[in-house]
Amino acid sequence: MKSMIHTLNTKVWPLCLLMLAAFLPALAQAQPLDDNQPVTAVTTDASGTILVLRGGSLVAIEDGTAAVIPLPASDGQPTSLARGADGDVYLGGPGMGVWRYDNASGDWQSLNESLPDLSVNAIAAHANQPGTLYAYSEQNGMFRSRDRGTEWARVDGGPREPVQTFLHSDMPGSMESGWLFAGTTRGVARSMDCFCFWGDAGELRGTVSAISYDPAAPENVYAVIEGVLHHSADGGEAWEALDVPQPVTALAFSPEKGLVAGTVDGDLLARGSAGEWTPVHD
Amino acid sequence: MTKWIWLLVLLVVPAFAVASGGSRVIEGMPADLIEGQRIYEQYCAACHGLQGEGAANWQKPDEKGEMPAPPHDESGHTWRHSDAMLFRMIAEGWRHPFNKSDRLTMPAFRDILTDEEIRAVIDYLRTFWTGEQRLYQQTESQDMPSN
Repeated sequence: MKSMIHTLNTKVWPLCLLMLAAFLPALAQAQPLDDNQPVTAVTTDASGTILVLRGGSLVAIEDGTAAVIPLPASDGQPTSLARGADGDVYLGGPGMGVWRYDNASGDWQSLNESLPDLSVNAIAAHANQPGTLYAYSEQNGMFRSRDRGTEWARVDGGPREPVQTFLHSDMPGSMESGWLFAGTTRGVARSMDCFCFWGDAGELRGTVSAISYDPAAPENVYAVIEGVLHHSADGGEAWEALDVPQPVTALAFSPEKGLVAGTVDGDLLARGSAGEWTPVHD
Repeated sequence: MTKWIWLLVLLVVPAFAVASGGSRVIEGMPADLIEGQRIYEQYCAACHGLQGEGAANWQKPDEKGEMPAPPHDESGHTWRHSDAMLFRMIAEGWRHPFNKSDRLTMPAFRDILTDEEIRAVIDYLRTFWTGEQRLYQQTESQDMPSN
């Protein structure tokens, strides 16, 4: 009897461990998503896949299926996603700095070597210069990298009020290569990307929690204040509120689906050409 | 018509110069900077100020809905632009895209100043900036080489 147990111990346990090792990654991928958490941030990758930051998880949504992308090992809180002009995906947040995702290997690369600290509140990528990235820290101001995050240089203090979220736009009319639109605690601030001067973009007031623009028609800018989506068709001069079925918490422009809104209930909604909202199924 | 406008500018600028405190005196300034200063004071100072101080309330649109002339000194943003961009703005002029008018509020000087004169003005503008700002602008100019 003892020898039977010994045989079991020596032959079955290694088999069990082998099976566990084989199936653990699959189990991790298939872990239930907390779909009801508010969407924190949305972006798309080079292939048009929608990436959603929700409930502390990053999920890739493609063809109606959702796959969890493990987040980088960091004690920080991921709050901000950006898509580089080359389609690379960047993640940032307080306590974690800035990271780039390698789609081929599934690894995250830290881009924090030359940042003064990891207190990054928001990140953005240049609309058409693949290596140019921006990171904002309430403590230290605006940083820019022109080499995909290897070297960061402080370029500006940022707008007067703290930035919650921001983007780079290739809207025409800039002295340099585009514009920065920053959602602050006062409203939307706008500056050419020479950081010449931050001024109010119109008279929309309140804390902006999400911002996006239409790359195909860059004068169209969208901003969310207290869950309400606002639209400007003239580069941020005049704003009007848009009806959305749920309070909005995140925004992105998908090449395939157009304006995508993440909601307080964890849903993703895409805006049709007639202004109607339809679910982006995951 | 343009000639008459510039004749008027030439007559009026010295009056403004006197009214706003007179020309800057920089000890030991090299000859090329003195030339840049002369051109600046003749063509630029009426709007941007003899001391590079810019128009009052330059950060807000004026009553015509136009952004006033910004300062060139350390309080402004001229130092944030590369030499190439400064050259382009002086040569081709500039209109802020959110101005309510369509005119170039910064006139184009390509038919008035030679390339060399424009470069002399840019060299003179550098005398308004701090060492840190000059360093920043130098880096910007390296990233975007001059014409």
